[in-house]
Order: sequence, then C-alpha cells, then structure tokens
Amino acid sequence: MRRIASILTLTLAISILLAACGGGGDKPAPGPDGGTQGGTGETVVLHVLENDTAKAEGYLQALLDAFNEAYKDKGIQAVDANMDEFTDLATNGPYGYGPDVLYQANDQLMRYAEDRHILPIDVEALDCFSTTPEAAWDAFHMTLDGQVYTMGVPVNVQEPMIFYREDMMPENWQERWDRDGSGTPDFFENWCDLYAFSKELHDSDPNKFGFMVSMNNLYLASPFMLSFGNYIFGEKDGVTDDTDIGFSKGDAVNGLWALRQFAGQMNEGCIDDTVTLNRYEKLADGSYFCAISTPDTYSLFLGNLTNRYKQEGLSEDEAAKKAKENLKMVEVPAKMPSSGDLSQDSASLTGDGWRDTVVMGGVNGYGISSYTKHREACLEFVNFATSFDMIKLRADTLGIAPTRSDVAAQCGDTADIIFQSLSAGRIYLMPSVKAVNQIWVPCQTVMGDVAKDPFREKQGEAAKYPGKAELQAALETIDKNIYDAIHTLAG
Amino acid sequence: MRWRKTLDWLGAHLALLIVCFLFFFPVLWLVLASFSATGSIYDLKGFFPGSFSLSGYKTLFGDTTMYDYPNWLKNTLFVAVGSSILGTVLVILTAYTISRFQFRSRKMLMKSTLVLSMFPSFMGMTAVYLLMVNFGLINRLWALVLIYASGAPMGYLVQKGYFDSISASVFEAARLDGASNFRVFRSIALPLSKPIIVYTALTQFAWPWSDFILPNLLLKNKDKWTVAVGLMHLDETQFTRFAAGSIFIAVPIVILYFCLSGFLVTGVTAGAAKE
Repeated sequence: MRRIASILTLTLAISILLAACGGGGDKPAPGPDGGTQGGTGETVVLHVLENDTAKAEGYLQALLDAFNEAYKDKGIQAVDANMDEFTDLATNGPYGYGPDVLYQANDQLMRYAEDRHILPIDVEALDCFSTTPEAAWDAFHMTLDGQVYTMGVPVNVQEPMIFYREDMMPENWQERWDRDGSGTPDFFENWCDLYAFSKELHDSDPNKFGFMVSMNNLYLASPFMLSFGNYIFGEKDGVTDDTDIGFSKGDAVNGLWALRQFAGQMNEGCIDDTVTLNRYEKLADGSYFCAISTPDTYSLFLGNLTNRYKQEGLSEDEAAKKAKENLKMVEVPAKMPSSGDLSQDSASLTGDGWRDTVVMGGVNGYGISSYTKHREACLEFVNFATSFDMIKLRADTLGIAPTRSDVAAQCGDTADIIFQSLSAGRIYLMPSVKAVNQIWVPCQTVMGDVAKDPFREKQGEAAKYPGKAELQAALETIDKNIYDAIHTLAG
Repeated sequence: MRWRKTLDWLGAHLALLIVCFLFFFPVLWLVLASFSATGSIYDLKGFFPGSFSLSGYKTLFGDTTMYDYPNWLKNTLFVAVGSSILGTVLVILTAYTISRFQFRSRKMLMKSTLVLSMFPSFMGMTAVYLLMVNFGLINRLWALVLIYASGAPMGYLVQKGYFDSISASVFEAARLDGASNFRVFRSIALPLSKPIIVYTALTQFAWPWSDFILPNLLLKNKDKWTVAVGLMHLDETQFTRFAAGSIFIAVPIVILYFCLSGFLVTGVTAGAAKE
C-alpha cells in the first residue's frame, strides 16, 4: 500500500511540476501605458473592452479583424482587452491597466465621466453622428460650467422586452384575446389583459404562470414604477437635479398597487432575483408563458429552448430551427390602467382610463479612457466600430436594437420598434449621472417587500401594504433613502 | 452489560453517520450537480438533477472561447507549486533559525511575528496592490508566488516546534565533528525533518491553490486568471460548468492529501509539542 501511495505521489508531483514548468509562466503583460507598442515602436495597439455576448457570438473578433485589415497601413492595431466585461476603469485605469476603448451602458460610462475617467469626444466628426437620434446622444451628454460635452458614442438601445413561446399561446386567441382585431393578442397590448390571461393560466394549472418578472428589479419592473407621471431625478436649468427625487410623485402609488396585484399571480420567486435567474429554463420547460428580459439575452432563451427540444429527441439542427421559430420577443404592453387596478375589464376602459407604459432603458455605447496614450487612434476605432457596416453586422449577429436610424430601418421588426420607442420617448433612459448608482437598493428593498404582500396574505399573515396610503409612504421612503444615500451618507 | 456496550456502539456509530452525512451531503450534491444534463441549477428534481451527462466536464475543457478552464488550471498550478517550493524553503529556514540559534532580539522577533500573524491578510491588500503597481507586477503570476512565499514564514511556529523536538545532542555531536552550520542543517536537520517538510509543502500548496482575494486583486487579464477567479466570473447560467470546475479543482489536492496523510499526521503531531 505504501509503495502504491509513493508511486501515486511521485507521479502526481511530477505531473504538477511538468505542468507548472510547461506553460504557466508569465508572458509579458500589457505595459502600464495601456497600449503596448509593437517591436518597431510604430504600431499602436488599442485594448478594446467589449461585452461577453459580443465575444461569445464572434462579433468582437469580426470587428477586430475588420478594423485591423482596414488600418494595417496606418499603424493601428486593435486587440481584445481580455478583461472582465464589468472591469472597473476607475480602479484599474489610473494605474495603467484599463482598456483604451470600452463598450458599456450609459449609466456606467457616465459614472466614469463625472470622475474624468473617460474623455469627451468630438462626435460631429463621426460617421454615425447624423443618423443617431438626439435622445441617444443625450444619454452621453454631460454639462460642465455651462458647456455640454459628449462622453460616449451610442451603439444600441436596451429596454425590457417580453419573451414568450408562441406554442403556448391559447389556440383560440384570435377569438378570445383580440377584441380590436389588430392581429396582436390583447395581453401584449394592455396590462389588464396580461393580468387576466396570467390569472386564467395559473388557475387552470397551479404550476404554470403567465407573465413573470423579478418585482424587486427596478429596471425590469420599471413599467410599474415609471408609467404614472413619476420620475427618477428632476431637472433644473436643463441639468439633472439629483436633489429632486420623484419616485413618489404623480400617481406613482397606482403603479405600486399594480405591482402588488400582479405579484399575486406569480410565484414567490418574483420577490427576489429568482425569476431573473431561472427565466431561461422556466420559459423553455413551459412553466412560464412569458418573462421580461433585455434583447441581448435572446441567445440565452434560444439556447435553453434548443436544449429542451434536443432532450425531447430532435437533432441539433431541428431543435435550433424549432426554437428559433417558437421563441418570440415583443415590447411590453403599451397601455397601463390609470387607476393601477389590473383586474378591470379592459373593454370598460377608454381614453383617460389608460396611460402609456413607460419602461426604463439604457443606451450602450463606446467611451474612450482618459488613460489612453492614443486618443486619435481610439477615435478612429470608435468611428469604425459605429460605422453602418459594423453596426449592421452587430445587429445581425447579436440581435441588438441599433441607435443608427439607417441600420434600424434595414433591420426592421424589433430593432425598429425599439428605435421608434426611443425616439417617441416611451423609453425612460437611465439618468447619466453618478447619483443613479444610489437608486437601485432603496427601490429593490421596497419593491420586493411590496411584492411579498400577496404571499403574506396567502400564509394568513397581515398585509404590510393593505392600501394606497401605506404604498405612498413606502414610495416616499424610497425617495428619502435615495436622497440620504446621495447627499448625506455618500457625501 | 453487553446490551449497554451494543447500545454505546450503536449510538456512537449513528452519531458518526449523521455527522458524516451532514459533511458529505453538500459534496455529493455538488458532484451530482456537475453531471446535470441541463446545466442549470433551476432544473433540479428536488435536490438532484433530473438527467445526467458529462456535458459539464466536456464544456469545461472543450469550450474555451469565453472560459478557458485549462489555462486557469495551468496558472493555478504554476502559482501553487511556485509558492509551495519557495514558501517551504523560507518557512523551514525561518523555523530552523529561530529554533536552533540564540541571537539578540530573538524573543522580540518571535512575539512580533506572532502578533503580526494575527492580523487578517486582506488588511494589507491596498498596500499590496500599490506595491505591485509600483514594481510593475500586476498581471504577473510571479507576483503571487512572491507574495504567498514571503508571507509564509509568519506561520513558522509548527515547524519550530518540530525542530525543537529534535534532540540538541545530535546537532552538538555534528558540530564537535567540525560540521558547519549549513552542513548541520543539510545533513542532520533536513533528513530528520521529512514529515514537517511534506506538511509545510502541502499547506503552502493548498492556500494559493484555492485563494480568491489576492489573484482577483492582481490578475486583471482573463488569460492570467486562476481557477478560483475564473469560476467566480462564470455567467449565472453556467452552474454545471461551475460545479464541474469546483469538483475538478479539488481532485489533485485530495489525492495529495491521501497520499501524504502519513507525513501530514506525523508533521502536525510532532510539531505540536516540545519533547
């Protein structure tokens, strides 16, 4: 036994040493200037940080290859920054380890902008300037001493969308759920019918749920929080005023009432992040009819549905084809009942009985690090990456909704719908100020607690928010907590 | 009397079985989850996956586009082996010196190291980061080896206890025969210290093997990540890959522990008390 143990130990030790000596050693890391010069000192190397989906789907490589081919005679080369997609420029940049060009959401980029970690960009010289709507540029505007600077270049719009399985639609939806004969089911047109359909589905089978969302997620559940005349931050002299916090303003309480009501038709996963994490599998296995997510997660839904079909015996190609045909994505219902009472018959509501649904959205774009040594080269890269061809390729590969109007028009369908929503103001863009970091936790706490109320009642406990007065007080608590977080605690 | 003995035996074994189950169940759960066919934590039937496959392990080693596990494993091995070799040398030298030599401030040095070792290592992370930035050692695996190894001598007490337990007359005899300090160390102390050397090497290997905080702080590029850092950055939908990665990372160290358990027990017990 001892002999065997000795042989095993020796073998393991040798293999470990061989592995360690074989290739684990260091190779030169990028220099602290963030842009290693080539051997001749002529080639400028740009480190580009993209998101994981772009990398996984092969778009980043295509972009880098195209750029390097186009700029090979100009001495500029772009490479993958090879970092985590959420790497913190504020932590790494000052020490020379951040990317030169980074692709992130507007709230993230503008957080860097306030602390001068990214550079203002002369966007009028860019190819995409004239084809990008003002609303998208606004997401990257920063006012300093009365002067407006543009800190990023828009690429695509993100908004919460509804993903659903077409085969789970009721067979007779055209007769029962299309009163206006629009060809779109009523439950994708107004929230009352989505509530009614979800209730009907859940009542018929307790293991099935209609519409699902993590109610504690301000971004995904934003239709309940931003559709009633309320707002995140006010404006003063055309500038975002983070002393004016408006989650409780207008008829906000009706939205929170609707949130509480809809939570009653969901499972307890809606109280926390459970639905956000399990929506891909639960939609694929038919437990959920539809769930909210962002367009860039399309491939995750598709992958899960494909796997499900493969388990049912279809070949890889058949499963992928069937999944693609069956998985649909639509905007959230456009009409919300003004009273917040989702149990109303939609046929009884007209005119003022409805409000337009407003969803929170974001604009993803490119920013240029203040710590780069190659500003002009970075600008060249951003211009190339936001050109028609590259944005079109991005939209085709990743299913994003581009901010370039010419690409959006060519893509049609979802991309164009989202583009139209952005232009029409139905998307409430995340404020581009650092203070926006402080809104999430206070909202998450209250929204989750309100969503828990129906489950308290089901368990025979007393409801914490039985009426609108309690909900209004909760909204005011959100405002106060956000204010304190921005101006008292963080200040 | 006999029934009482039987009852004792039964009670003891039952208690042991319960304790074993409590410790073993999470491991069993993770092992089974790593073989889940669907790859999701939300697809379990009760506690365990509904269907099993090797796909988690296949993607772990085969699909390296986004998550290059083999490379993380190689980096981890490099750091752990390097730290183990360098750290063991430093700890053994420190312990031997403190044990066998009398010099000024020896007591104060011992007390200082004892006090300093009580502070959690992450207290100095900001300072470590800034030092590494200034030395240009960010994104370098050698930086981790140096940090782990240089911190290792702080835990020299067990090894000192072992050297204390070796009879002083052996060393005195060697000195009388004209052996130098280095010769005494090499020809007398080291051959007598195999258990404690193995124990030290193993403990110096285990810490970097599973550490997360320091590599996460210093390794910015994905191709430099260690397994712990890489697994922590896996996407939320990659649970089976995470479970497979967690299981696989445990295999080498479990084998090492089993094979070297004899040395380990001798090392710990011998260093625990001064004879």
